[in-house]
Amino acid sequence: MEFVHPILIQPFADMMSAPDFLIQVLWEGTVSGVLYSLIALGFVLIFKSSRILNFAQGIMVVFAALTLVGLYERGVPAWLALPLTLVVMLILAIAIERVVLRPLVNQPDIILFMATIGITMFLIGLGETIFGGENKRMITQELGIPTGNFVFEPFGGFVSIEQKDLTAVIGAIVLVVLLLVFLNKSKMGRAIRALGDDHQAALSVGISLSTIWVLVWFIAGIIALATGIVWGARAGVSFALEVIALKALPVLMLGGLESVSGAIIGGLMIGILEKLFEIYWGQPLLGGNTEAWFAYMLALLVLLFRPQGLFGEKIIERV
Amino acid sequence: MKTTMKLTLLSAVFAASALLAAPAAMAQDKIHITNLSYRTGPFAATGTPVMNGQRDYMLMLNARDGGVNGVEIVYDECETGYNTEKGAECYEQTKGQSIVTQPWSTGITLQVLPRTNVDKIPILAPGYGFSPMTDGAIFQWAFNPPASYWDGASMILQQISGANLDSLKGKKIVLLHLDAPYGKEPIPLFEAYAKKHGFTFMSIPVGVSEMQNQSAQWLQIRRENPDFVLMWGWGAMNAGALTEAVKTRFPMEKFVGIWWSGSDADLKTVGEAGKGYRSISWNVPNSASSVMQDVKKHVIDAGKSLLPPAEFDYVFYQRGVVISLFAIEGVKAAQAHFNTQVVNAEQLRWGLENLNLDAAKLEELGFTGMVGPFSTSCSNHTGHAGGWMLEWDGAKFVPVSDLLVADQDMIQPLIEVEAKKYAESNAPWPVNEDCKS
Amino acid sequence: MLYRVAGQFKTSYQADYALFPVRQDAWLLAFILLLAFVVFPMTANEFAFRALLIPVLIYSLAALGLNILTGYAGQLSLGTGAFMGVGAYACYKLVSIFPEMNIIVALALSGFFSATVGMAFGLPSLRIKGFYLAIATLAAQFFLVWLFQKWAWLYNYNASGAIQVPNISMFGIAIAGPQASAITQYYFVLGIVCAVTFLAINITRGRIGRIWKAVRDMDIAAELVGINLMKAKLLAFFVSSYIVGIAGALFVFLWRGAAEAELFDIQLSFRVLFIAIIGGLGSIMGNFLGAILIVALPVLLGIVPRMLGLPITSATVEHLNIMIIGALIIMFLILEPHGLARYWQIIREKLIIWPFPH
Repeated sequence: MEFVHPILIQPFADMMSAPDFLIQVLWEGTVSGVLYSLIALGFVLIFKSSRILNFAQGIMVVFAALTLVGLYERGVPAWLALPLTLVVMLILAIAIERVVLRPLVNQPDIILFMATIGITMFLIGLGETIFGGENKRMITQELGIPTGNFVFEPFGGFVSIEQKDLTAVIGAIVLVVLLLVFLNKSKMGRAIRALGDDHQAALSVGISLSTIWVLVWFIAGIIALATGIVWGARAGVSFALEVIALKALPVLMLGGLESVSGAIIGGLMIGILEKLFEIYWGQPLLGGNTEAWFAYMLALLVLLFRPQGLFGEKIIERV
Repeated sequence: MKTTMKLTLLSAVFAASALLAAPAAMAQDKIHITNLSYRTGPFAATGTPVMNGQRDYMLMLNARDGGVNGVEIVYDECETGYNTEKGAECYEQTKGQSIVTQPWSTGITLQVLPRTNVDKIPILAPGYGFSPMTDGAIFQWAFNPPASYWDGASMILQQISGANLDSLKGKKIVLLHLDAPYGKEPIPLFEAYAKKHGFTFMSIPVGVSEMQNQSAQWLQIRRENPDFVLMWGWGAMNAGALTEAVKTRFPMEKFVGIWWSGSDADLKTVGEAGKGYRSISWNVPNSASSVMQDVKKHVIDAGKSLLPPAEFDYVFYQRGVVISLFAIEGVKAAQAHFNTQVVNAEQLRWGLENLNLDAAKLEELGFTGMVGPFSTSCSNHTGHAGGWMLEWDGAKFVPVSDLLVADQDMIQPLIEVEAKKYAESNAPWPVNEDCKS
Repeated sequence: MLYRVAGQFKTSYQADYALFPVRQDAWLLAFILLLAFVVFPMTANEFAFRALLIPVLIYSLAALGLNILTGYAGQLSLGTGAFMGVGAYACYKLVSIFPEMNIIVALALSGFFSATVGMAFGLPSLRIKGFYLAIATLAAQFFLVWLFQKWAWLYNYNASGAIQVPNISMFGIAIAGPQASAITQYYFVLGIVCAVTFLAINITRGRIGRIWKAVRDMDIAAELVGINLMKAKLLAFFVSSYIVGIAGALFVFLWRGAAEAELFDIQLSFRVLFIAIIGGLGSIMGNFLGAILIVALPVLLGIVPRMLGLPITSATVEHLNIMIIGALIIMFLILEPHGLARYWQIIREKLIIWPFPH
């Protein structure tokens, strides 16, 4: 029973012996979890209203952040760059609806999925042509985001919390609350949900499909911008961000493709668990970098027991 | 007929391939030097300034002297995006015409290295690639002047130990590296040093997809609490590591990077907070030097450069200029030796093997103090010029050491072992028996 | 005219289900094979071999493997790149443990490794469907690439973590490694691709292929008519991963010469999926058409400005290239969601009734 000790006992002993470190790990996990949640939220919104798994959400994050920074670099003041970026995201939403989605209505899911990969490639090329491929600094101070650190010193150690991470978490909570209010209370929001429930029925009571799609893609664009600002503030804006966005997929598997709250809880769960696993099991036992696959494996295991995800609606199959 | 439509589709490939033969047969009165560049992708941030420097030096020579000894240089780029697949494609595409291949990634270098014996084209990989390439008897076509990664590792250890490696005894040194052939390159040497001088060595890899989100790696560093963190980072990884280091309150004085982790642009993202961060470098920017002034006059002021004006003083830009110097000096040496104007790839190989850049020569060419003097030979394809430790003062890099020289006593045996291992695993591998030193 | 079927009478069901129900199809195939075996090798230069012909063939093979799983059996997979990696690493280990082993045997054996791994990751398909399954295959993708990086035994403890193809020869001719000439490698790849394609055509049009199609179209209905879903799905994963594994081994041994784990990343999976979809799901020929479009077109697009002498930097060309490919994908999906193969079908049908459209 030699091997049990490092797997089942040592990690917990480590956690207990350095509680400040554990808190730091949990915090780091929470921050990445919030980011995963935000990206997953973009996916869920679009999936709910149009049954499209929008692979382009990741590149939209990069594109929005690049537009913001690019405008600033070209001499537009930060307070103006932000609304201008939103305008660009709106134009993007309209263009995607007109050029890509409308001609593809009623095609199989996989075709729409592939189309969003096409959008991804197009936006990568477009973004690099316009803004160049190099890493850019996010205009954090200019947007009024604090950049210092809060340092607590519990248990004789220290926990360092970046103010911009804290801002990110608070900002994300505000955004999610606004979104939930919008979806549940406003007329447009209800229309989106109606469309998610039943396309035909929604159309028959006079809900305009194309308006709603533009709206949904625009909201996804807003979420992308928020994600881009937060993530860019952590490590600069570059196309490498696009890779991280894939992490939203296991979040969706866990949370279910259609559940807003599932996306949020799934994101936090994955963010925290993968960090804990990496620090206490992955690095000492497996040589590290387990974050690359842990989320997917976890989601796979969950799916084996609950094929619809933790929060998805039960799938009933008919012939 | 309509059937032909489909056939056209299929033969499009073939037709285009037939056309490809054309450029290779072009009139050979110019020297073609093609760079496998990457101005796109996650590594563009660090690649672009170097490539700008390489390009501008060649353009400057054309504008100032009409090329090299009267032969115009055609500088061209083939975009790889740091992708090994595109890199191999670019290599195939350019090898007929360009007299040298500059793969710009250790991964691509490893891939084209075996092919150069067959294709007879020299690889110029200044300051990167496979460290055992120093052994010119085995790696006849590969050159990595003026210093290899192992040289860099040795110089860093010298500097952080105050030139007494035994003072590292009992200490813990962490290597934070990109999880790619490039990042793994110095590990064997560090392990050898750790064994000899009694310090603990540990490597922490950063996957390409985690470059911008290194919180797990830095939590591990915080837990291990090492005495030094050395970084073999590239592209977006550098800026990511620096921001995390600031957050983890890791003292910058204990954080040292290899030359590719010393980009001004990366440090600018942390600014003041990065003060004290050091990076070993085999070149030092010297904007007042006559060559840089010429580049400014003939290329930048003439509006031919792709460089954003603010980046003129950057270490990486001026490093690009120095890299082009190596290629051009190789061409010059070959021109003199073979008494010809337009050198070909095989002649350039001789030129690169007989580079002689002593202090007087560097002075004459206007590169005063920008790179350490060195010379290459048949058995030494690196030159081991040494380098300086640069320190970030909050706004720019300043040299804080004299010229450091790597300790070849440790490196040479390892080179022999690894080079031999390479040749054996690729048998039959041609070895130049004439130059056993 | 050229495709007149008049006079070709079918007198039995066998004849109707023959490989070439229309004689002209066979002629066309013969013509394509003539191009591939005789015309291309005579005209192509080394760049064309190494940057166009060989990769198109290898990618076609990988797409063919994926197409069996996705196009025929209806199981979406995003882990193709990793399964190619399993094939490549298995072949590398086989060749380094048994240096005398014939390369064809090593290739055939390495397929079994990827097939086994593929089947293991296919097990969730019994419970998970659609996008959920696609995302589940991502677990295979990321886990396997991680394993290629961490398990040093796989790359023989090489300091740089990369695998390098040794010189391998068969009957005295260098097949793989730096010594091999492009034309031998091309013929070798072409031979294997033809053989596997022939097998795949016959598997997919036979009993097994029909079972797969039934599962794809509606798996519950298929189960009700007595098809064993577990067997059918796992067999699809097995056959598909076997072909994909061989493609992966060819990818490294006959084309790239060296590989690091990142080579088999998610981008590779997407690339192969693009080829299968653009070419046409559920079509064998589509894989080849798709590979020509996705693999060869960017190479050609990259060369055109250089040949015309346009003053654009290669970086801009590359950016525009990505944009064009993205736009083309969207365009093809809008114009013909069933892929390029469907275009050929339409043209063929028109040709058969030409010149009287009704």
